[in-house]
Amino acid sequence: MQQKKMSASCGRMASRGLVRFVSRVSSSGLRPLSSTSVCRATLQNKHVTDKATSPWTLMAAVCLQRLPVISSDLSPIEQQFKHMLSQMELEKSMLSDHELRLLEDKERMSRKQANDYDSDDEDGRGDQDIVLTQDLEDSWEQKFKSFQPAPRVRADVDENLTSPERCLADSLLLLVEQQVGGQKMWLLPQTQWQEGETLRQTAERALSSLSGAGFKATFLGNAPCGVYKYKLPKAIRTESSVGTKVFFFKAILSDSSRPAAPTSPFLWVTKGELQRYLKPAYMAKVDRFIPQV
Amino acid sequence: MAVALSRCLCRVLTRQAAPSSFLLGGHHHAVQSPWFAPAMTLKTSAPLRAEPKKKKKVDPRREQVIRDRLKKKLKKLEKVPPELIPIEDLIIPTKCLDETRERSAPRLPFEESEGRALLLKEWSRYKQEQHMAEVQAVELALDAQREALEELKLESEELYQAALKPDPLLFPFTHKGPTYTPPKTDYEAPDGKYNDITKVYTQ
Repeated sequence: MQQKKMSASCGRMASRGLVRFVSRVSSSGLRPLSSTSVCRATLQNKHVTDKATSPWTLMAAVCLQRLPVISSDLSPIEQQFKHMLSQMELEKSMLSDHELRLLEDKERMSRKQANDYDSDDEDGRGDQDIVLTQDLEDSWEQKFKSFQPAPRVRADVDENLTSPERCLADSLLLLVEQQVGGQKMWLLPQTQWQEGETLRQTAERALSSLSGAGFKATFLGNAPCGVYKYKLPKAIRTESSVGTKVFFFKAILSDSSRPAAPTSPFLWVTKGELQRYLKPAYMAKVDRFIPQV
Repeated sequence: MAVALSRCLCRVLTRQAAPSSFLLGGHHHAVQSPWFAPAMTLKTSAPLRAEPKKKKKVDPRREQVIRDRLKKKLKKLEKVPPELIPIEDLIIPTKCLDETRERSAPRLPFEESEGRALLLKEWSRYKQEQHMAEVQAVELALDAQREALEELKLESEELYQAALKPDPLLFPFTHKGPTYTPPKTDYEAPDGKYNDITKVYTQ
């Protein structure tokens, strides 16, 4: 009403515009001041009804991967191709400085062995007689052999399923034994979602609480990479809880320091060994977002 | 002949002298012949008296104009485009063009060359299979993520919106790739000395 009075006092054009606006607002049936509070009330109602009607329990799980540390062995065709490629490259290349020196030394040796050898004929590089290129090569070989690299494969570590240093050529996945609905089973670490946190925070909480505080992981983004939903058996199903939805979040292990005291038994398994531990339906869903390597 | 010439000259000169004396307005024709004109008559002629001395303005202006022109020419000459920095990777070192370095190309037997061709074809087939498997795996993972986001949307809108937000702390992300042998835990790398001889070019 006040606005209409104000519009009357203003110029004609302004009043026309204001009248139109006010009429539109009044036609909606609400006064401008109280409309926002009404809208808020309706939203809240909707939110409450949403939560009340959603029968699924939300859980977040973390798919922690230890990426490969060493390159995997070559397959037979890869070995063949590598061999052929190195041969072809050698044929197409030019002689290097080192090879030229070798050839020169050979020539000089053959000249020395000849009967009519005159050392004065040699031009320059008297010191090359003392250090032959072959000797240089031998000394390099010696130096190379004196360095012992760490072994690629260690059978004892490979068998220890709890060590994150097993199977360095494959990527490992962390599995935890948890009690779900009265049954103990191996699955990716998961916890229930709580109010006021995002699902990613739930996943972080799952990682830190279930597998000890030693694993430093980098979570890859806020979005889940997969979902597994299952309905509770008909006996336990109620209006409010039909089943559970588990959202998986990917993370990469950045530091493999041993946890002080693991709270629950955990395993590091490769993709091939996953089938032995996971339930088939669960495995089918998890398999999709875990890469081969 | 000379007399005639002198007579002509006298006539011309008197003609010229006449207007100047006329302008003066009543100066006595002191001398008839121009050979004996006194310096005074020359100095006090009107055109010479009325105009200001030109030398003081024209010369500096002219000099400045000349200087500006020279400066412009200098600037044009100095506008040399900067020398291009040579890309050392694209310059073939003369060592490589040395003929003494050529390897004697061995002649391959027929079986060897055939074997190589067949291996190349097998390799391309193997690589194609690998690539298709990779593409399929990526598509499968994307599908799984899409499904997860759809389920989340059905659950709650705000969690869905939170999931869609990009993570600002993720990048820059670094991870050391696989090496041939695993790293040794108790290895001390020896200190290396090096002389940096890279050429630094300035334009």
